[in-house]
Amino acid sequence: MRIDWLIGGPQGSGVDTISLVFARSIAKAGYFVYGNREYYSNIKGRHSYSSLAISDKQIHSINENIDILATFDAETLFQHFHEVKKVAIYDQNLLDTRLNILYGVEKEIADDIKSRLNNNDPKISDVIQYLKDKNITLIPVDIGSITRSVANDLKVSSLIADRTKNTIVLAISMRLLGLDLSFLEMAIKDVFKDKNTVDINKKAIDKANELDIKNIFNLKQIEKDDRVILDGTTASALGKINAGLGFQSYYPITPASDESTYIEAHQIVKTDNGTRNIVVLQTEDELAAINSAVGAALTGVRSATATSGPGFSLMSEGISWAGMNEVPVVITYYMRGAPATGLPTRSGQGDLEFALHVGHGEFPRIVIASGDHKEVYLDAIWAFNIAEKYQTPVIHIVEKALANSFTTLNKSLFDRANIERGILASNFDNYKRFKFTDNGISPRAFLGQARIFYTGDEHNEFGHIDEESVNRTKMYEKRMKKLLLADQEIKEEDRLNVYGDGDIAVITWGSPKGVLLDIMPSLEEKGVNITLIQIKMFNPFPKQLVKNLLRDKKLIIDVESNYDAQAEKVMKREIGIGADAYILKWSGRQIMSDELLDAFDRVLKGNKKVVLTGGR
Amino acid sequence: MIEDLEFNDWCPGCGNFGILRAEEEALGELGLDYKNAIIVSGIGCSGKTPHFINVDISGVHTLHGRSIAFATGIKLANPSLKVILNVGDGDTLGIGLGHFVSAGRRNLSFVIMMHDNGVYGLTKGQASPTLPKGEKTKSLPKPNINAPINPISIAIAAGYSFVARAYAYDTQSTKEIIKEAILHKGSAFIDVLQPCPTYNDINTIDWYKERIYKLDIDPNVNNPSQRLEKIKQAIDIAYQEDKIGIGIVYKDLTIEPFEDRLLSNIPGYIQYYPAKTEISNNNRSISDLTSLIDELKV
Repeated sequence: MRIDWLIGGPQGSGVDTISLVFARSIAKAGYFVYGNREYYSNIKGRHSYSSLAISDKQIHSINENIDILATFDAETLFQHFHEVKKVAIYDQNLLDTRLNILYGVEKEIADDIKSRLNNNDPKISDVIQYLKDKNITLIPVDIGSITRSVANDLKVSSLIADRTKNTIVLAISMRLLGLDLSFLEMAIKDVFKDKNTVDINKKAIDKANELDIKNIFNLKQIEKDDRVILDGTTASALGKINAGLGFQSYYPITPASDESTYIEAHQIVKTDNGTRNIVVLQTEDELAAINSAVGAALTGVRSATATSGPGFSLMSEGISWAGMNEVPVVITYYMRGAPATGLPTRSGQGDLEFALHVGHGEFPRIVIASGDHKEVYLDAIWAFNIAEKYQTPVIHIVEKALANSFTTLNKSLFDRANIERGILASNFDNYKRFKFTDNGISPRAFLGQARIFYTGDEHNEFGHIDEESVNRTKMYEKRMKKLLLADQEIKEEDRLNVYGDGDIAVITWGSPKGVLLDIMPSLEEKGVNITLIQIKMFNPFPKQLVKNLLRDKKLIIDVESNYDAQAEKVMKREIGIGADAYILKWSGRQIMSDELLDAFDRVLKGNKKVVLTGGR
Repeated sequence: MIEDLEFNDWCPGCGNFGILRAEEEALGELGLDYKNAIIVSGIGCSGKTPHFINVDISGVHTLHGRSIAFATGIKLANPSLKVILNVGDGDTLGIGLGHFVSAGRRNLSFVIMMHDNGVYGLTKGQASPTLPKGEKTKSLPKPNINAPINPISIAIAAGYSFVARAYAYDTQSTKEIIKEAILHKGSAFIDVLQPCPTYNDINTIDWYKERIYKLDIDPNVNNPSQRLEKIKQAIDIAYQEDKIGIGIVYKDLTIEPFEDRLLSNIPGYIQYYPAKTEISNNNRSISDLTSLIDELKV
């Protein structure tokens, strides 16, 4: 089963928080959820919305077409009415509101709405007529009178009571689903710790409970194991903390900053011996972020930074220094719409090749990309182990689509992490930080333990500047050898995920993985069996395994959120095999299940390239 | 044991030799070595200092303009290390100015020794941010049309709690200034004036000889009410014409260093700083996420 729900409202009106409250309520009733936030680069006023998929199985994607549209403002109704399949909740006092007075609606969207309604000056009443014609169940609510009675009953200002309008819409949604409102009350308590806020919202729920609302979806509470709900930035932060992070630097940037502020809020970590402390430094820019993280790593501390495209661009010289000096540092790369400032609050996979080549010169850059929230958490731990084993920077890619989406995960996932610190020096006399060894790994000592030299110049085994030709040749090779070693040691099975076993291969990476997983049963029903290959590590690339998996496939389809099919290009470069067809999306919105299913139909009919544009 | 040092390839007569000598003596007299101190440098002639210094100390020769960022990470992860930066004027006031100003805001305990010769030596003598307007050093095709940054003035404005001026060839007083800077709690900045015998044919040894004199002032701010008066005194010295006073220009003892500010967020920071604490036991994390996970439980 699957139910898709969407709530919208002006940025700053609490849509983010309230969608999390709703997700928690549903999760408390035993269901799996997957939610996604879409918002403008704006503080207050522009249209933002959250989609939520509800299922009795783990779910990883949203749909463009939704079962329930929950609104309390006019713009959300105008923006999303065409996506509704079953039910729309709306404020009955808005019927006369005209699209043409909503100045935040971009012209292209307004034109689209007008053409859908066949009206140049549409009102909400026209939207309602459209929905009626489509046999959509309509739930008109007098939101103002409810919030006024909340204000009266509790003697609070109308301004404060007005903020419960989204809670009212949630309560109605719960009743449409057939779920007990006590789940919503518990979720409100979890999220709003302040008693007054809880009481006001509780009153709003009671009022909504008095309305005449039918149970349409007939959901029942189901048994569940111990679960948590979290977004991608929190998953990454938890992975880092478990892995022993000691220093995290950052410069404010969407959507990466949430991770660092979460870590700072939890910087005193309980341990078996008492506590340990994480320093979180907000730097003056991303140049300082990467270079302070590299400096901290030299002291033996597990060190990281988190950023997005513009910041990652600034970090490239520092990453090059870290490669030259064999410094284990983790850069969490929250990928968003680029180039330049691009789509600061939207998603994208357009920087894969950049991540693989960041920084001047040749050095081992290990690049991993997570495909869902569980992987974001586990890969954050993995990144440190790899960085320290191979003494080189590791770039961990998490798209905005994962950073700002949230899901339910089993609690046991968060048990103690396995920690591998690589080869450490035990003899500090006459210490050579860059000692030549067979496999290129020199035992690592930390600043303070031995007399150590680092330089960005080519250097000898001690770390002193050395431009001599034979030394240069050897030292260069020593650094590069570590990538060969990583390629030998890291199992190829760990560098990708395979799902299903069909005669069609689908290549993907990152967040589209979850969407593909979600549509696989529907594809099977149509007789389409796929082998889904999700690449997790791009450098070193799992060459042999991908080659084997692609053998004898009748069709190879590449699915990515970029223009250039970058992962497929990497694959072609690495193993000489490319895709036969492409499904690509670079609109900044994440790929959605229904549009992807439709794209498969088109590809299987012979289309070589399908470009997706779904979502507001 | 001390391994073979790099061959020192600074030009004969370079002011860096004086700075190096003063620094070696200061470190020696304070008993600093790799166990308790570190030298961080940027790019340029000054950047090679850690490779040339004849003291049993570690060195991190970083990127152009970024040494302050590296030093910040090192110091915060391991506050038991004394961190001394050798940086150039282009390094600090050109490509790295943002870090220089931001470091003043933090007042983290480290010493920034800026080798100030008015030129970019390693790239053949272009004008640095401290070269006065209108000067045409010998490798400039035209006179410099940029006005100079005043290092002392900008350090004071940025919030450095220790600001000094030194002269490379007065190794005795430079050494004493370095020692005081290292012992100071908070960010210390030393503008070390130095001739560049190869590219700066204006600010030569003789030029400096006519102008240098030792300051005889009380630079200390012992309580905040003295701050404005001492800042004014420092600014007067910063903009002196025809003579150049060397010594400590400003020393504010009332501004808490960044390490202490961190303590208010992390009470155990000084005893249990990141470089000192274990993270695993038998390859297993010792970090307990239980309370964090409980917050997220549904």
